[in-house]
Amino acid sequence: MFNENAIELNNAFVGYGDVTILKNLDFKVKIGEFVSILGENGAGKTTLFKSILLILPLTKGTIRVFDKEVAWGRDNTWLRSQIGYVPQNHNKGNFPISVFDATLLGRWGSSFSYFKRPSLRDKEITREILRVVNLEDMMHHDCKALSGGQTQRLNIARALVRKPRILLLDEPTTHLDVDSQRKLDATISNIRNQYELSVIMISHDKAHAISLSDRIVYLRNGKIYNDIGVPL
Amino acid sequence: MNIIEFLKVPIFQRALIASILAGGTMSLLGIVIVVFNMTTIRFALMHFGLLGGAIGLALGANPLTVAIAAIALASLLFGPLSDRLKLDTGLIGAFFMTGSIAIAFLLFYKAGVPALDVFSLFTGSILTLTSNDLLFICVLALIIVLFYVIFYKEIQLIFYDSDQAEWLGVPTKKIRNALLFLTGLSIGVAMKIVGALLIDALILLSAMSAMRLAKNFKQLILLTSLFGILTTTGGLLFSMVFDFPSGATITLTGVLILLISLLTQK
Ligand SMILES: Nc1ncnc2c1ncn2[C@@H]1O[C@H](COP(=O)(O)OP(=O)(O)O)[C@@H](O)[C@H]1O
Ligand SMILES: [Mg+2]
Repeated sequence: MFNENAIELNNAFVGYGDVTILKNLDFKVKIGEFVSILGENGAGKTTLFKSILLILPLTKGTIRVFDKEVAWGRDNTWLRSQIGYVPQNHNKGNFPISVFDATLLGRWGSSFSYFKRPSLRDKEITREILRVVNLEDMMHHDCKALSGGQTQRLNIARALVRKPRILLLDEPTTHLDVDSQRKLDATISNIRNQYELSVIMISHDKAHAISLSDRIVYLRNGKIYNDIGVPL
Repeated sequence: MNIIEFLKVPIFQRALIASILAGGTMSLLGIVIVVFNMTTIRFALMHFGLLGGAIGLALGANPLTVAIAAIALASLLFGPLSDRLKLDTGLIGAFFMTGSIAIAFLLFYKAGVPALDVFSLFTGSILTLTSNDLLFICVLALIIVLFYVIFYKEIQLIFYDSDQAEWLGVPTKKIRNALLFLTGLSIGVAMKIVGALLIDALILLSAMSAMRLAKNFKQLILLTSLFGILTTTGGLLFSMVFDFPSGATITLTGVLILLISLLTQK
């Protein structure tokens, strides 16, 4: 079903200072695949995302994205156009900004910056994405006025608005009530199909991971100790 | 004298222009202080200004010029220093604060600075602005407005989510440090207008009021600016008509606006 890789880490070592967190990691995600990562707190799940995003350098090994080698410290403009990232525990802060503006600004650097103002197309895409995540009605509200579930859908919109081909979700449903969780899951499945995304989702809930993904990878102490396909 | 007569006097004209410019633009840096949670830093910068003022008085130079220079220097150092040493800016602030105020008092004592001169540093006066001071305020106001206009999107992104801003390639630290520097200069000017102890009236109160009412960035900027102008010009006119000290009246106007915004919930 899946042939080429969207993401491929080979023999990757990653750490903070002298402490190595990810050890000799081989990890692949095929184009169009939905992979969930499970593992205890501190297993290195978020660290894996940060290496894929080139926020952290590999001390050894390689990363390929759509078969193109990328590395920390190089120009990653291309990478930013390919990957959307929804971080863990995004805190809302106290700054007033409309849902529309917060989403639109996710496109910064791709088609507008500094003297170049957002175009009609930027705004069109922003509206489209907000429609897809069911926030169209909240467009002109202050982000602070959103519920937990709505905030997560906003965060997904902010990542999607660049029209990436890969989506990284770091514990998107943690701290949400059951109802919001169900709505968010529907949104995630929906955008995955509509935009033919390759998705990596970090989760702490096995049943939740199974319900959404094609494959589940278990991480423990920076190593993969289990990698199982989810039967259809 | 009524207001029309006041406005024929050059000192009052300068004061009015300064209050509109300073109130309308320097208040915008209060947003930086609130969003970045830099209340300690602004306090520390104020102390640095006092140290500068003390050096100025001890040397017989214009104390406020030296104060502004000292604050500008300190605000240039704060950002990079906190990045390099991985210390939180609050700690650095506290460190500078106590150090500078101690040295300032030593200087006052050793140089035998008259108490009244020291007092003027703490209270300031918008009615003693020279035309050079006014020119400085004009230039600073222009730079602040241009900065907010040019980096409108970038500032918004940094304020809302600095991690995302950084990942998208926005020069987050440079913009933050530039804002910090402008904040420093404004605090220096605020010392001149309302005095060291009341700088918050000019810089912080309007932003805090606007923060409670605004639903987006555009509203935040417009409301902050409007409240800033109302605070300074309103305060100035009141002080002229009722013969109150200008610094205190300006501050009370700002407090009043904050109080109203607290009562007028969204
Ligand atoms: N910025 C950092 N500096 C030093 N160590 C860190 C940093 N971030 C995470 N760690 C450590 O790396 C390990 C893995 O963290 P993380 O990838 O966040 O785990 P997970 O997301 O699986 O809970 C933990 O032991 C954590 O303490
Ligand atoms: Mg994590």
